[in-house]
Amino acid sequence: MKIHIKLTGVLYGQIMADLVRPHPFAAERVGFVFGRMGSLNDGKLILLKRYASIPDAHYVDDQMVGARIGPSAMTWAMQEVYRSKGAREGIFHIHLHGHAGETAMSSTDAREIPAMIPGFQSVGRDAAHGIIIVSRNHGSGWVWLPASTQGVEAAQISVIGAPVGVFERRSAR
Amino acid sequence: MSNDRYSRQSFLGPDAEARIAACTIGIAGLGGGGSHIVQQLSHIGFQRYVIYDGDEVEDSNLNRLVGATSADALAATPKLHLAKMMIYSLQPKARVAGFPCKWQEKPEPLRECQIVFGGVDSYQGRHELEVACRRYLMHYIDIGMDVHGTEKPVIGGQVILSSPGGPCMRCMGFLSDELLAREAALYGNAGPRPQVIWPNGVLASTAVGLAVDLVTNWTRQGRRHAYLVYDGNASTVKESATLRNLASGSCPHFPDGEVGDPVLLEL
Amino acid sequence: MGYPTEQLEELKRYCTKLKVVDEGGVTFPYLEELRLPSGCSPATCDALLCPVPRDGYPSRLFLSVQVSSPYSRNWNVTNARIAERNWFAFSWKVDLANPTLTQLLIAHLNGFAKNK
Repeated sequence: MKIHIKLTGVLYGQIMADLVRPHPFAAERVGFVFGRMGSLNDGKLILLKRYASIPDAHYVDDQMVGARIGPSAMTWAMQEVYRSKGAREGIFHIHLHGHAGETAMSSTDAREIPAMIPGFQSVGRDAAHGIIIVSRNHGSGWVWLPASTQGVEAAQISVIGAPVGVFERRSAR
Repeated sequence: MSNDRYSRQSFLGPDAEARIAACTIGIAGLGGGGSHIVQQLSHIGFQRYVIYDGDEVEDSNLNRLVGATSADALAATPKLHLAKMMIYSLQPKARVAGFPCKWQEKPEPLRECQIVFGGVDSYQGRHELEVACRRYLMHYIDIGMDVHGTEKPVIGGQVILSSPGGPCMRCMGFLSDELLAREAALYGNAGPRPQVIWPNGVLASTAVGLAVDLVTNWTRQGRRHAYLVYDGNASTVKESATLRNLASGSCPHFPDGEVGDPVLLEL
Repeated sequence: MGYPTEQLEELKRYCTKLKVVDEGGVTFPYLEELRLPSGCSPATCDALLCPVPRDGYPSRLFLSVQVSSPYSRNWNVTNARIAERNWFAFSWKVDLANPTLTQLLIAHLNGFAKNK
């Protein structure tokens, strides 16, 4: 099953501009990006269409992790998924690792972020949901297709902008 | 890739080769315009292609089909085969997904592209390609030429870049309902259109130049739309005057949210 | 682009399921298994109603197949791609002032039943 994520250059720029902003106490910023599925012969496209920044006040001060979002943020996210379920719009948790090059989930990311997915699936069961981690010049994504309990790592993230960006897993090349 | 091979295009940037190699290019139509595009992309170093054409080489193609020979016309070589040979002869490790049909018959592979070239011969065909490129987030580069009049022929053509989120071919003044209606009224009566190699070459080269800039950003212009008009009699390529009337704001013909597989909402 | 609820409800009588789909700023009523006039083959097919001007026509009815009918029609649209499907339409101009969706549909279907 092949997964390919795409977004426009404008959306990518909007996301990056938000995620690099310093937070009063969190080391990292988090956002949510929304997208819809497209069919491929042997997999799925995820086409990202809009981004929502998480207000500063919705973070929880936890110095043990890079960023922790509070219940208000999660409630808002679930409401957005519910509101968009007719359009089969899914939600993707997104944050930035400040280095250059390929990214991967940290142990904290792997422990905590996938745990959000079943909640999103319960509200938007016909959509794909997931996780995206960007670096300064690359990105990785993990997608849970409808009814799937396992995330699939995206083979590619394409930024359709000027310039075009193609972020690939080395193993996918 | 060897250092020598692309040394003359080093001005494109230190990571240009990697960027070019990672990009997947779609080409709908491998005729007069598409065959030029395939040749140039192969020379430049593009490695990944999704290409469509169900036609075979005929004698009447030989005045303009790059790569075609008299033997190909005799043998009725598929244009798809010519294109594949062109690519593999320059890029033996290229990944080519080729389909001997119109893209509409097998649309899924095209969706993996970052850039799509349209060398189709109808306004409706262009419109449909642009719709697909907006839905599945791909830059669309359209080329086309025509010869008007017989007493005093006038050669015209266009190269258009239409990108998701930016102005579309309607916004830029190229497509309109009137144009599509006139074409629909002529259905089946259009007849063979005059086509010659040198305007195709100008248009294809201009289109490839736009694509290379999209991938490498060597001009640093960040261009996301273009409508260039070719005057074959004056030998000029200029920006269309219609762009002066380009409205600001997002494209009203392709709402931002209309991406992905269509959703049929049951009532 | 929205349509009056009562007009959409009325359309349901002519098909198995009624849906809507958006593309290019147009909302198309999508009639699953639209029942065609007698004499047509097949007897049903999927249809897209385009209530806005397109291709020089004030409105159009796109069908999922090229239908055989008692009177031969000029199928001037073949494999038009809308909402990621291929559609067919024959040349038939419907000129009604402010029709409801059903009036529009029936006027287009009359194209099968009338000899010009």
